Amino acid sequence: MRRLIRVAVLAGVFLFIPVSASAAEEVSVAEILEMGADLAGEEVTVEGELVGDYGFRDDGSMWTQLNGDTYALQPIREGGRPAGANVGIALRIPLDLGGGLDPPGGYRYRGPIVRVTGIWKYHDTTRPGESYVEVQSLTVTEPGRQLDQEVDWTPIIFGLVLLVGAGAIGWLTRSGD
Amino acid sequence: MLIRPVAEDFRVIGSYMGRIFLVVAAASLLPLIWAGIVREWHPFGSFLLMTAVFALLGVIGVRLAPEVSELDWSHGMVVVALTWLIVPMIGAIPLLLSGHFGRPLDALFDAMSGLTTTGLSLLSDVDHLASSLNFWRHFLQFLGGQGIILAALTIFAGTGGITLYFGEARDERILPSVTSTARFIWAVSVVHLIFGVTALGLVGWLVLGFDFDRSIFHGLMTFFAGFDTGGFSPQSTSIGYYHSAVFEGVTALLMVAGAMSFGVHYALWRGPRRSVFANLETRTILSTFGFTMVLTLLGLAATGLFVNVAGLTRQGFFQILSAHTGTGFSTVPPIELARWGGLAFGGMAIAMALGGMGSSTAGGVKSLRIGLTVKAVVNQIKQVLLPEHALVGTAYHQSGRKHLTPVLIQSVMIISLLYVALYLLGAGIGLAYGIPLQESLFESVSASANVGLSVGVTDPSMPILLELVYMLQMWAGRLEFVAVFSLLGFAYAWVRGK
Repeated sequence: MRRLIRVAVLAGVFLFIPVSASAAEEVSVAEILEMGADLAGEEVTVEGELVGDYGFRDDGSMWTQLNGDTYALQPIREGGRPAGANVGIALRIPLDLGGGLDPPGGYRYRGPIVRVTGIWKYHDTTRPGESYVEVQSLTVTEPGRQLDQEVDWTPIIFGLVLLVGAGAIGWLTRSGD
Repeated sequence: MLIRPVAEDFRVIGSYMGRIFLVVAAASLLPLIWAGIVREWHPFGSFLLMTAVFALLGVIGVRLAPEVSELDWSHGMVVVALTWLIVPMIGAIPLLLSGHFGRPLDALFDAMSGLTTTGLSLLSDVDHLASSLNFWRHFLQFLGGQGIILAALTIFAGTGGITLYFGEARDERILPSVTSTARFIWAVSVVHLIFGVTALGLVGWLVLGFDFDRSIFHGLMTFFAGFDTGGFSPQSTSIGYYHSAVFEGVTALLMVAGAMSFGVHYALWRGPRRSVFANLETRTILSTFGFTMVLTLLGLAATGLFVNVAGLTRQGFFQILSAHTGTGFSTVPPIELARWGGLAFGGMAIAMALGGMGSSTAGGVKSLRIGLTVKAVVNQIKQVLLPEHALVGTAYHQSGRKHLTPVLIQSVMIISLLYVALYLLGAGIGLAYGIPLQESLFESVSASANVGLSVGVTDPSMPILLELVYMLQMWAGRLEFVAVFSLLGFAYAWVRGK
């Protein structure tokens, strides 16, 4: 009986190993860009902000960009520090997963923060040379939101004063001709 | 003996610069109106301030420094060099106030990069940038590619127009007068704008499935940066953002159109079209493009980054076209471009260094100079190999039959050597900061030849001295040195002259 239990346990272990090997690897966008070739064809899980546009194509997919940079956590307009270029990758999302998302990130919006799992297609052969994540599942971890727009009156006032000054100089020197 | 400039010299220079600033003030009303229409009030204020500064300087120049004598050659060159320094300084105001730059110098860097159609950028978080600021960055590339002086010459030319025209690195007057040439260049550009934006907008809307207004926005930005070989992009992943071979194809056509000299445009419009392909410049650029393309593709195949020929060819072709035309668009991220070592790196660097055609919106040494240099070298070899009294033909075809004179060869060689020196300057400074040779050289050539492709050296954390050197390279490379040396000579004469 003990032997049978041992065999069953071992079988369970061996059954478990392939399951864990095929589990999606949790990576950041920066890691995907850094290890692009090494992760080719792997199932990955990555989190970030959707930005730019939602492009709905005839082949039943939606394309967008996932950014995994500091601005996804704190946009510059909300006090985030300028810390260099964005870090983004493309997502190809089946239409049934991509419906109902908040607007993508841009000047007026902080896009939704999503957690996606999919296959990292590195220099895909079916789309010559392109790299993107073919999304299989998508979870919104934080909805998008509108970014406040405050008006800074200082440049407006200075600008108006300078314009009046320019007009005055032009008018005064003209009258002296 | 050096003659110190007198007040009258400054008044002449100030008066012409004033006129140019008024034209730029008028042009800067466009982003102001854009910001107002889309209700982006924060950028609106900064555009108002920028427009006011341009207008004030323009009025002061024109009204307080009345023109008292003709604009001679040295005045014209100083006007051009100073204009290309001051316009980016004032044009950087909205960028600086946007909050997307860590230090003021970074905003100036981007304005200089935009105006000189380089495309290197230190802007943080472009993906959340206001559309009006994106418009201004791309419109700067349009103004710079066309030539801000040329824009002014369309409205006023006067007797000094020809000096200003040549000072802005144009060596070909297509029509008898400078004003008519300037208007022809604008006509070509407007026609391309209409077709380019329509084609890209339709691709964005119908193929990529973007909203209609966003399609037009992307089309307009890509046109400005593509036709004027600038390379800025409204999204951080450049043309790779679109994931579309069709979009890349239309963009490629715009890059080619931008890298063609306006003389070639004229011949294609008005004929005879066959003469275009007989030109030494056309033959040279086709040869160098083919050569660097083969080099890059072979190098890419050796890296093993691509698993099939279609992917390798598509990515290799787009990148090399972008490099050779001096555009700077990319479909692969900088981190990956940095891995294109060996022949692929060599192909890209050579393509960037050679550049497009003369009198185009592209930078680099320019293909006519390359063609003439090769011809001069071949002639020298022939002269050595043939009997002592044998005559070696010096004729070449470039919009008609011309002759390779010693003076022409000297001028071509000097400018080419100055470009090489400029490439080495940035590379040397980069090396001194510990940046590997390949990356230092790539980025330096990219800045000097006004390309804009990056392997990641251009970054907000880069050393200030390197940033200043790249700005100098962009400025000198765009003006092809003559105006820059004239300004230095003028300043020296002011200090040391009698």
